[in-house]
Amino acid sequence: MIEFNDIRKSFTSGTMRTDVLNGVTFKVNKGEFAAIMAPSGTGKTTLLNVLGCLMKATSGSYLFEKQDVETLNDDQLSEIRNKKIGFVFQSFNLLERTSALDNVLLPLVYADIYPADAKQSAVKLLESVGLGDRIHYKPNELSGGQQQRVAIARALVNKPAVIFADEPTGNLDSESSKEVMNIFKTLHAQDRTIILVTHDINIARHAGRIIFLKDGRVEKEEVPA
Amino acid sequence: MKALRVVGVSIVTIVKHRMRAFLIILAIVVGIATLTVIVALTEGANKKIIQRINNFGPDAIVVHSGGGKIRGPSTASEANITRKDVDDIENIDGVKLITSFQVALDMPIKYGNKFTASWVWGVEPNWKDAWRRGASKGEFITDSDNERLSKVCVIGQTAAKELFGNVNPVGENILIENVSFQVVGILERRGLSPVGTDFDNLIVIPFTTASRRLMNQSLYISTARVIVRDPSRVEIVARRVKELLRENHHLAATEEDDFRLSTPGEIAEMVKSTATTLKLFLWLVALISPFVGGIVLMNIMLMAVSERKREIGLRRAMGAKKRHIIVQFLAESVILTFTGGVIGVGAGIGIALLIDLSGKPISITWQSFAIAFLFSTFIGLFFGIYPAKKAAALDPAAALSQK
Repeated sequence: MIEFNDIRKSFTSGTMRTDVLNGVTFKVNKGEFAAIMAPSGTGKTTLLNVLGCLMKATSGSYLFEKQDVETLNDDQLSEIRNKKIGFVFQSFNLLERTSALDNVLLPLVYADIYPADAKQSAVKLLESVGLGDRIHYKPNELSGGQQQRVAIARALVNKPAVIFADEPTGNLDSESSKEVMNIFKTLHAQDRTIILVTHDINIARHAGRIIFLKDGRVEKEEVPA
Repeated sequence: MKALRVVGVSIVTIVKHRMRAFLIILAIVVGIATLTVIVALTEGANKKIIQRINNFGPDAIVVHSGGGKIRGPSTASEANITRKDVDDIENIDGVKLITSFQVALDMPIKYGNKFTASWVWGVEPNWKDAWRRGASKGEFITDSDNERLSKVCVIGQTAAKELFGNVNPVGENILIENVSFQVVGILERRGLSPVGTDFDNLIVIPFTTASRRLMNQSLYISTARVIVRDPSRVEIVARRVKELLRENHHLAATEEDDFRLSTPGEIAEMVKSTATTLKLFLWLVALISPFVGGIVLMNIMLMAVSERKREIGLRRAMGAKKRHIIVQFLAESVILTFTGGVIGVGAGIGIALLIDLSGKPISITWQSFAIAFLFSTFIGLFFGIYPAKKAAALDPAAALSQK
């Protein structure tokens, strides 16, 4: 369902050209839980931006559910993000002064059809991540782990085809990290497609397959024991 | 429906950033209140001008003795209109009636131990038809008063108040330049004369009495007022009157008129020209001040955009299209300016009413509301579009990674 073929991305600033991705090729199948293992400063964020349709590659082809992303315009990319992708960020990225419930509902603001049961399903999602009693709490009233769980509920509300998680435990203590990773495992067990990007091999090991990135290329792939 | 949800985001944002909203609204309130006050003042001035033109009469031509460009009535001392002139004018096609009168400015008036100065007009009975103004109390000057050179007068309400206070003046005797006149009536109130003087500070007496006893001018008439049948033909009739008078006064082609004609058009122009410069200046202030509010809005919104880059990036990642971001920010601007507009109109009308209490004429019309609402919305759109576009143009990936 995700096909990266020789994806290259370079940034030009003035006369300086920086090549960040130098021909990345990999596939992720439907229902898979894949980890992309990349040390800091090796194009991890850029890779995730391209994967998440937030940025187009300089060259190469990216097929998302057999659709060539590189040919889409800004509005079409927005639609893919809205309908097909759920994001979980390292720094949670919740709206301040906004309740957990309203944060979860955020993607639906931009949905073509606002589901009649939006609120109930948002509440259900919050319950499923163990925050049923905190739906009206604002981000500053929640712990880091709780905030990240709100973000996961938000990533699920539009019933996405794939969830992209960027260092989801990077800002969390070990206890919260464990909770969050357990949620991802549960989601995987429910046949969801998850792509997790991390520099932490212990986190990557939770996935079904690890893709190692080095110098902007795929170095190797392995299935953790 | 999606648009409504996006506008909902704008409203929620406004509620969450009360200080910012307050500052923007305040800036717009000041601007729109200024605009409203100035509109009320200029409309008030306009109303006064129209009233003055109406006081002159849309169907009237006034013939003044003596040439030149001086405004206002000619006095008996410069009278040069003859009885024949008046009769000839009356026979011009389209003339309904003509009334002759003698005018003396600022005559000393005395009643008991009270003094005042007032215009004194010697008039014929049809003066009241020509001015549509008779006696509101008592009687007006009659033909027999004119035949008998009666020493009777009808006094205007300003003069009556000066001399009599609240006492009924009818039946009392006053001295006009030491000649005793009996007050037989009170003139209907009229307000300002076409030239801007108090038209109620006026005393009318019989024409013949004025000519012979008071002004010592029995041969000529100082002023005549012509009423035409059809107000739309007033300028045409005025041209005929002019031709006729030049002929009667044997003026050669090279000689200037020895009389002046006032027509409604001329009066309107005269009254308006004095107000135009001031009005222009006021309108400039009125338009600049909401403009300044718009600049404040743009500043604060630009700041909001750079403060909220991360939020914008997040919304884009969640699937917001560029136009949704534009609508969100533009709606925020317009809601704030419109709110400012509504409060501004209220404040402006409040101030205008205070000005009204102080005696300056104001006029509050639906136009004030329309202008304020349209203008505040326009400012929201005009000054809000740039920050909104800037927000939408942010690269989603870069905006999201903002700290």
